Amino acid sequence: MLQQYAGIGVFFLVAAIFPIIAIGAAWLVRPKKPSRVKLDTYECGLETQGPTWVQFKVGYFLYALVFLIFDIETVFLYPWAVQFQVLPLFAFVEMFIFIGILAVGLWYAWKEGALEWK
Amino acid sequence: MIENAWLIPVLPAVAFVVIVFLIRQFKMLSALTAIAAMAVSFIISVGIVWEIIQGGATMKKPVEYFVNWLDLPGLNIQAGILIDPLAAAMLFVVTFVALLVMIYSVGYMHGDPGFSVFFSYLSLFSASMLGLVVANNYFQMFFFWELVGLCSYLLIGYYFHKPSAVQANKKAFITNRWGDFGFMLGIFFLFLVFGTFNFGELAKAIPKYDNVAFLTLAGILVFIGPIAKSAQFPLHVWLPDAMEGPTPVSALIHAATMVAAGVYLVARGFVLFHSVETVALVVAWVGGLSALIAATIALVQDDCKRIMAFSTMSQLGYMLMALGVGSLTAGMFHLTTHAFFKALMFLAAGSVIHATHKQNIFEMGGLRKSMPITTWTTVIGALALAGIFPLAGFWSKDEILVAAYTEGAYALFGLASLVAFMTAFYMFRMVFVVFWGDEPEGQHAHESPLTMTIPLIILAFFSIFSGFIGSPLVETGFFSYVYYKYPHPPEPNYMIMISSTVLALAGIGLAWLIYGKKSISAEALKQRFQPIHTLLYNKFYIDELYLWLFDKVMLNISTAFNWNDRHIVDGIFDGIGDLTRAAGARLRFIHTGSLQNYALVIFAAVVIIMLWMAVPALGGI
Amino acid sequence: MNQLQMDFNLLTVEILMATLGLVVLVLGLLIPKNQSRGIAYFTTIGLVAILLYSVTMQWTKAEFLNGMYLIDPFSTLFKQIFLLTAILVSVGSYQFMEKYGHNQAEYYSLMVFATLGMMVMASAGDLITLYIGLELMTISLCVLTCFRLRDAKSSEAGIKYIILGAMSSAIMLYGLSLVYGMTRTTVIAEIAAAIALDGVSPLLLLGLVFLVAGFAFKISAVPFHIWAPDIYEGAPTPVTAFLAVASKAAGFAAMMRVLLIALPDLFVHWNVMIVGLTVLTVVLANLVAIPQTNIKRLLAFSGVGQAGYLLLGIVAFTQLGVGAVLFHTLFYVFANVAAFMVVIAFYNETGSDEIRDYTGLAVRSPLLAAVLLFSMLSMAGIPPLAGFVSKFYLFTAVIDQGYVWLALISVLMSMVSVYYYLIVAKVMYIGKPADDAKPIKVSSGLQIALILCLVMIFAFGIYPAPFTDLAMNVANTFFTP
Repeated sequence: MLQQYAGIGVFFLVAAIFPIIAIGAAWLVRPKKPSRVKLDTYECGLETQGPTWVQFKVGYFLYALVFLIFDIETVFLYPWAVQFQVLPLFAFVEMFIFIGILAVGLWYAWKEGALEWK
Repeated sequence: MIENAWLIPVLPAVAFVVIVFLIRQFKMLSALTAIAAMAVSFIISVGIVWEIIQGGATMKKPVEYFVNWLDLPGLNIQAGILIDPLAAAMLFVVTFVALLVMIYSVGYMHGDPGFSVFFSYLSLFSASMLGLVVANNYFQMFFFWELVGLCSYLLIGYYFHKPSAVQANKKAFITNRWGDFGFMLGIFFLFLVFGTFNFGELAKAIPKYDNVAFLTLAGILVFIGPIAKSAQFPLHVWLPDAMEGPTPVSALIHAATMVAAGVYLVARGFVLFHSVETVALVVAWVGGLSALIAATIALVQDDCKRIMAFSTMSQLGYMLMALGVGSLTAGMFHLTTHAFFKALMFLAAGSVIHATHKQNIFEMGGLRKSMPITTWTTVIGALALAGIFPLAGFWSKDEILVAAYTEGAYALFGLASLVAFMTAFYMFRMVFVVFWGDEPEGQHAHESPLTMTIPLIILAFFSIFSGFIGSPLVETGFFSYVYYKYPHPPEPNYMIMISSTVLALAGIGLAWLIYGKKSISAEALKQRFQPIHTLLYNKFYIDELYLWLFDKVMLNISTAFNWNDRHIVDGIFDGIGDLTRAAGARLRFIHTGSLQNYALVIFAAVVIIMLWMAVPALGGI
Repeated sequence: MNQLQMDFNLLTVEILMATLGLVVLVLGLLIPKNQSRGIAYFTTIGLVAILLYSVTMQWTKAEFLNGMYLIDPFSTLFKQIFLLTAILVSVGSYQFMEKYGHNQAEYYSLMVFATLGMMVMASAGDLITLYIGLELMTISLCVLTCFRLRDAKSSEAGIKYIILGAMSSAIMLYGLSLVYGMTRTTVIAEIAAAIALDGVSPLLLLGLVFLVAGFAFKISAVPFHIWAPDIYEGAPTPVTAFLAVASKAAGFAAMMRVLLIALPDLFVHWNVMIVGLTVLTVVLANLVAIPQTNIKRLLAFSGVGQAGYLLLGIVAFTQLGVGAVLFHTLFYVFANVAAFMVVIAFYNETGSDEIRDYTGLAVRSPLLAAVLLFSMLSMAGIPPLAGFVSKFYLFTAVIDQGYVWLALISVLMSMVSVYYYLIVAKVMYIGKPADDAKPIKVSSGLQIALILCLVMIFAFGIYPAPFTDLAMNVANTFFTP
């Protein structure tokens, strides 16, 4: 059985060696003329402002998390909205339970101050 | 009632737990709890006896129920209850004596700092003893056997501030270890061959098994247990010393119940002990010889509790002899009656000690006037023990003599008759010295309180009348319920009745002449038979022999082993221990606390397992 | 495709748990923060009610969603084990959380959700369901681990747990995907059928390695235990107890389901790995426990060692083995949670987890000392305590399969474990307390829980038959489809 996988093994080997050869070759043949602009951090073509190692305010993450929850809700709601007329009553109730749970979550996040920018 | 039998050992156990953990501070409450639990157990036991008289359970059809305690392929150990007339008789005796002893102790232990602890121990002891009695298999019996041994150890050493008590409890514990070891080996052998510990299943399997050598070995190994527990020769040395414990304990444990556990075990495993002739012979002769040895020693002792201790050993020998010659009925009957009058004697002795604070009989005298109840109950006990018509001891002892005679064991019969004579002599020697004679100076004895005298009176009543239930005078009695294979109603053998009575009366008469009327000088006799007296007084030097064996032989061997232990075995184990500690100390440093290291370890482990699984020889492909 | 089987009655326990978690959370929003003690009591009562309800389902055996979710005695017993642990831990948390916690409602609702995750793991009949349960449990526990906001150790433990947990989840997911790739199904019963049909391939083995590694992380088997001591030490002690007992039990439940039911044809392969892990775990954990000076670390290593003994039951791969694992887990709940509750009570009063501060505990609080002593002796396997019986069963199970040497190593290392347990006992009983040492007060709720544990430790040892019967009967139903 090992023979069947021999091809993959060879592929792994080649894959491991190839980048080394490519980078090595580039390193050998490249011209080396550094300048200040060239060494700058790449930020979508804009000039960098201040140090790059900054800490983001934790509030961003809270917002992102709350956003993510409702994103997922939407993902579930779409197929349900398209089909709910043919689905049994139970599916209808179930979706409200789901939304209810999310609502509790939102309530919690709100009350704990996740939606306030401090 | 029989279905509630499990409550009998459980109640005192609960009392023990409650006293130790909850109400130890309240002395009277502790005592009452213990007594109440015991009283309920006693009532249930009476109910069981009643149901058995109605035919609720017989020796052939016992009531048994159990649960599996451990259930594994090839190893099944049960925890169960087995009630037949044998167990019922024992239950009645144990709960009855324990109840009276507890009531008695309220008076006797009054003012003792460990009052509550004492009652908790008594409860624990009763629970284990009753657990032993109702056991339906050898394993459970062994478990409780050990537990009663432990309680006995604790109670002998109750006055732990006395060095002699500490010595005595160590001696009891170590001597009993020998017995337990034999017992344990025996039941494991039985289990290996028969695959069960259950009494009923073994009783069915043993007669079908024909390897005589094995049965002999197993039987004798198991019998070592009773030899130690019932203080039979040669493992009897612990019993006299056990009298260091409080007197109620001596009455309950070392006279009426625990020491009888050995006899009970032989009765329980009767099939095993009678599967091979040799084993039965060993049982009978160990019993007979112990009876004789103990009786002769008791002739010259001067500590009242020791006299009684040897008397107990001698009477237990009687019972084993009866079982050995094949009469389950006679052995158990004597066990029952003996429990009453021996408990009576001990409690009376306790009453005397309580009043005089002395134990040497020659330092007392004339207590007849100041302690009338104690005196007359003691006399009743002594008469019963001596086997005087129509007291309890007469009927039970007579039955043993008849059993030995009809089974053709004439040597044992002669020996037992001689013991009967000596018993009467040494009991009345004590009675005359203590209660008659002149009061020594400075003796201010007074009668004991009611909590102590009432148990004496109740026990005296039983010592007089309990013999009738097994006498030839009744049509259905003890013998119609407790028997082996089929009932043996006693046939009155007048020749034996008369001869044993004459012997007993002769013993009493001789005692009267020497110690009562003093027409024969005790001193002169002692001078005349000086070597014999010294030999007997020193208990045949058996203790000294053991001491010498331990000191010279065992210690030398031990020293050799000790050296080996210290230098070779310890060296190895210390090495292993050091190595273990050192390994532990090194290995802890792989837990560096660095997250990256941890991730690396986990990842490396996965890679190593992968590589390992890739090697065909190790199970990979 | 058949009609989906959706009898929601089967999910009552899980639905109740989810409801309880949400209600606790909402209660926390409604009730002012300084009056939230009632929430703790409410959680305990709710958990007890659910535990009682679960007894009615004891012997139910049914499938939900065509085998993707299994309700059988095996999973129900495990759910009861989780519930028991959660109840005991919640009782142990009252004082601790009032003193050191900040938001009780969050704490208790997270605990309920973690328990729910474990339940899903135990009942999962499908690899994806299993993974969801696993993540629900792990994430809830991560948050609980760093619940002491101002304690650097607690935060450190939380970060470590989340990163290492994520790593192990990744490894496990990789394994799951490989298994799915080779068998074209994620339903456990169908995986076994597919392997029986197609045979074993190297990629499947690779998946197996990852799976075992992932589970080994959850049950903290050496060398995947490496996270355990730091996190146990840093986490709030009630959470440590929960981690050490319930999450480990959940790992075992899922592992047994996957290895014994989905991959029995790979027995020869996973057996080698598990035997290796067992030896390493039993030996290393017990050795490293010796030099520990912190009681929580000591208990962490002893817990790792216990996982090693539990692995014996999987090595045996018999009904007896499974039954022994169940029984050992059941006893382990009481012994280990009891030990941790003592640590909690001690910490509440003194603020220390160092073993040397336990000097003279027997004088300062006889109950705490006795409970710690007996739970430790029980874990060491001293008769007549529970641990003796359960180890006896585990060892019998492997000896029956011919692994005498493995049982021998385990027994030897059990003896080593007595050594470090006795160090603690010595400190507690022989050492004299410092002059300024005060008696330690234990709240009545905790006292009841401690005494219950103590009683159970003895009950399991003195009369194990009802519990072993339960475990063996459950094990009997485990292998029948």
